[in-house]
Amino acid sequence: MKEFTVNGAVLQCYPLTAAQRLHNYTVKYCPFHQILNIGSGLYIQMETDFDLLREAIYVAYERFDCMRLRFLKDTDDTVYQYLVPTEDREIPFRDFSSWQEEDVKRELEGWTKIPFKRFHSPMNQVVMIKLPDGYNGIYLKADHMTMDSSSVISFYRDVLEIYCAKKYGRAFPKPMQSYIQALEKDLAYEDNSPARKKDEAFWMEQITCENEPMYTDFNGMGRLITQRRENNNPDQRSAVVVSVNPEASISVYSLEKEPSDQLMHFCEENRIPMVCLLLMGLRTTLSKFNNNEKDVSIKSCVARRGTLLEKRSGGTRIHFFPLRTIIEPETTFMDALKIIQAEQNRLFRHANFDPIEYTMRRSRYRKFRPGESYESISLTYQPLTLKSTDESVPDIPYKSHWYSNGVAAQPLYLTVMHRVEDNGLNFSFEYRKDAVTDYEMEYLYYYLCRVLFRGIENSSRTVGEILDMI
Amino acid sequence: MLETFKKLICDYVEVEPDEITEDSRFIEDLHFNSYDFVDFLGALETELDITVDEQEILELHTVGDAIAYVKKLKGE
Repeated sequence: MKEFTVNGAVLQCYPLTAAQRLHNYTVKYCPFHQILNIGSGLYIQMETDFDLLREAIYVAYERFDCMRLRFLKDTDDTVYQYLVPTEDREIPFRDFSSWQEEDVKRELEGWTKIPFKRFHSPMNQVVMIKLPDGYNGIYLKADHMTMDSSSVISFYRDVLEIYCAKKYGRAFPKPMQSYIQALEKDLAYEDNSPARKKDEAFWMEQITCENEPMYTDFNGMGRLITQRRENNNPDQRSAVVVSVNPEASISVYSLEKEPSDQLMHFCEENRIPMVCLLLMGLRTTLSKFNNNEKDVSIKSCVARRGTLLEKRSGGTRIHFFPLRTIIEPETTFMDALKIIQAEQNRLFRHANFDPIEYTMRRSRYRKFRPGESYESISLTYQPLTLKSTDESVPDIPYKSHWYSNGVAAQPLYLTVMHRVEDNGLNFSFEYRKDAVTDYEMEYLYYYLCRVLFRGIENSSRTVGEILDMI
Repeated sequence: MLETFKKLICDYVEVEPDEITEDSRFIEDLHFNSYDFVDFLGALETELDITVDEQEILELHTVGDAIAYVKKLKGE
């Protein structure tokens, strides 16, 4: 912690956490600073008192510390963070009720592409919105160094529950928890703690393992074969995946409610976490696209929100680590799921380690060129839905949207979320336009679904049988 | 041992300590997700100075299962 004088006041400022440093690293090296913008909207189909909604947003600002987070840069360029005690910015209102849906989407994507000023300035923007068809709600743009999708969802839920508590005279939702307390816990871990040493030893063991992982591309063997030829190295097992052009878009594929329910039912019945089923689907699809390769790695997202303090204090906590699976074709679908579950548990146990440090150490050890990797896809499963479960919130039609900021650091990033309308699954692919086309993504989604449903309809089928069937 | 478990479980999920019994199932009754559960076991490792095995923990479904597993690790 360090003291700085800001506008005449002495403030306690904290260094960035590992999760924040990852984003800071991205924004430092990407010329498109909107890369860290998360744009989203939550809308409800009911008459809305916008003055009351504005009051609810101000109360949520007070309760949710990370909405009042600011950054500053020290003389040596180190970035620090601090909280401002109050947030009294004007919350604007925009009426789009006479617009076409597509035009509203384009407008809000335009807002999402505007970068934030990075220092001594608010890192979010809230606008009250009126949409066509009687939907009203909020657009939120937040900087990823201050919030992740779990935080965004918590903020929306809080605003909605506060609004309903005020409107219907019911009890306020439970208070949020302290951002600083969670931050101090993270910084204490990083300060050479025994837990960090344990995690470091684990990741070093992974990095230095004898059998090198294998790069498996979502577009098949082409990228690896080309790079093997260019480098005159027929045994090359990694590939450069970064690009000078980070222009990106989001395509969402909606799996209908009934098949989504079948996947959830399978997970409940067999005590398999949904993220493991999705990892199994994705790794088998990559295997199919890469000559039935047995060794497949995917970057898996860990939200790192276990305790109530972590769940209710906002901020950004996501770490990404590779999840490597080596699965023989004779392995049954169910046994493969158990292997993935055990791997995922190992990853969870050591997920507090700094992902940048991991990446740098791996690059040094494997003598990677810049942007070289074994993973072509990142996967996030977001179990939280925007729909409130609070009793004060009436059962009303909801609609939500995640708006693209137009750029991406990774070639392909799949986020699977539950739809607010019917709890079915949405597969949201954020993709770099120079890395993948709409058609290729649809192809990937199609195969992913085929693997999942061939597997759950008979989980004693072997992986080899499934690869032959799809 | 149950009291140690109750105290730690309440750090993870919104439940009253009195509602937790050895029969409580982590996922179905206490609403743990897979990360909560692994992180909770990590907290237990620190609290009780034990080391759990990722494969073995797949078989722990109830608080009673976990208590029995911890007792086995501690040689009790």
